[in-house]
Parts: sequence; structure tokens; C-alpha cells
Amino acid sequence: MRAILIRQVLWLVGLAFLPAIGQALYYRGDAAWQQPPTDAAQVSVAQARSWDAAVLWIDARPDEQFTTAHVPGAIQLNEDAWDKLLPKVLAAWSTERKVIVYCSRQTCNLSHEVAERLRKEDGLKNVYVLQGGWEEWQKSGQ
Amino acid sequence: MNEDDRPRFAWGFLVRRGLAVLAGAVFLYAGSTKVTDPLHFASDISNYQIVSWSIGVRLAFYLPWLEILCGLALIFHRLFTGAVVITSALMLVFIGVTVAAKARGIDVACGCFGSVSSSLTLTWHLVLNGCILAALVILWLTRDRAPVVSRFPAVR
Repeated sequence: MRAILIRQVLWLVGLAFLPAIGQALYYRGDAAWQQPPTDAAQVSVAQARSWDAAVLWIDARPDEQFTTAHVPGAIQLNEDAWDKLLPKVLAAWSTERKVIVYCSRQTCNLSHEVAERLRKEDGLKNVYVLQGGWEEWQKSGQ
Repeated sequence: MNEDDRPRFAWGFLVRRGLAVLAGAVFLYAGSTKVTDPLHFASDISNYQIVSWSIGVRLAFYLPWLEILCGLALIFHRLFTGAVVITSALMLVFIGVTVAAKARGIDVACGCFGSVSSSLTLTWHLVLNGCILAALVILWLTRDRAPVVSRFPAVR
């Protein structure tokens, strides 16, 4: 029984390599093999500050982190309560305002997910992700 | 034909096949959504901050195919026991790293079903994965049961 089980596991694990290697060869020239792809629509904290009042800040972090502290004036929007929180964002948004979404730190991707949904599902323009997220914002002195 | 001589409908068999097809379909779907965009999945793996990007991107190319194969194995009952073991291990690992990420305060997007899952909360993902794991445990515990409907009279 154990021998059969091990053989089956090895078959499945081995078979999965074949299409995976083929697909990896197809993508071999992609720069993302070496480092994560960067979002062209990212802004640094310094750049965001220079935009000043024209910015609509969106906090994509979970409730408890938003409640503890957030960028002044930021509106919370995360995927846990998207439908409930979105109307407030849309009410505050206007075509002249730039939207900057942030999450905890550089490596989190909730801000990217929220920014993508705002662009695709709600058709918002000028949606950016804050480089370094909340961590970078705090380091910059606020 | 008295009552004991009638063929008995194997409800247990039906339930086991139903669970296997259901679990298989979930893995097939999960793998299919990720296989079309491996670099996005690599980004989701990287977000857990457990492995480096170079390892994450390799896993992102491999894991969706493993899920697809295991899903097919569960549905068509080929290499079945191996598929149950692999998918159970994947579920345990996923639940473990998700809970660990939450405990470390990392706000992860699950990535379990590619971009399709972005509207599901992490709690729902965990509930879903818990249900799939429970189904897989049942399939493992009942793996030696007769896989066909019994046409023989019951012996009492």
C-alpha cells in the first residue's frame, strides 16, 4: 500500500514538471524571473506630498490597522468590506483628484489589488500605489 | 425476491465520488486560474514573505500544474490516493502560511484562485479551504471502501 502511494505521489509530482518547464521556457526572457515586476503607476512618498490636496488617499489595510493610525484624510477601502466602503470613496472622488492607495509596506499587495479594482471595475483614472506603503509614510516623518 | 436479495444502492460510494469530484473541480479551477498568469501568482507567493522571489516564481510555474493534475486525478479516480495526499498537504501548507502571515501582521491577498479570488475575504478562503481539507480527510479515511455499487445480495 505504501509503495503504491509513494509511486502515485511521484508520478503526479513528476508529471506536473513537464508543462511547468514548458511554460517556464516560454517565459524565460521575462525580466520578472529575476525581480518582481514593478507597477508603473507607483508614486514615492515625496511625490505624493508634492501633489498635496489634489490627492484622495485610500487605505487598503485591515480595519484594526486603519483604526490605529492612517494618513490624514485617508478613506478606508479594503476587500473585506468593498461594497460597504466603496460609496464613500466614490463620493469623495472627482476627475481632478489623484487617487493613491497604500497598504502596510512595500511587499504587501493589497494596495495593488484595490488599485486594480478601482481602475477596472469602477473606471477611475489616475490611480496610484504608494511605494513602501504606510511604513514608508511613517519613516518620512508623519 | 425478498428484501435481502435486492441490490443495495451504495449511498456511501455516491457521497465519496461526489466529494472527490467536488474537491477535484476546486483544484482544477484553482490551478487553471493561476496557470494563465504565473507572474501574478508569484507576486502573491512573494507577499507571504516566506520564500525569496526567485523561489516564489518557480513555485508559481509549478504549483498550478500540480493542482490541475491532482484535480483531474481526483475527478477521474486515477492515481487517486496520491492525489489525495498531495492536495491535503497543499491545503495544510496553505492554511498554515496564511495563519502565520496573519499572526505576523502581513496583509496578504490570498491568490488561491488567481485574480478571481480578490473579492473573497481571507476568512472565507480559510473556511473554504477547511471544507476542502475535511472532504480530503474523508476521502483518505474511506479510500479502501469498494469503489463500485454492490450488485450482490447482502449477507447477514
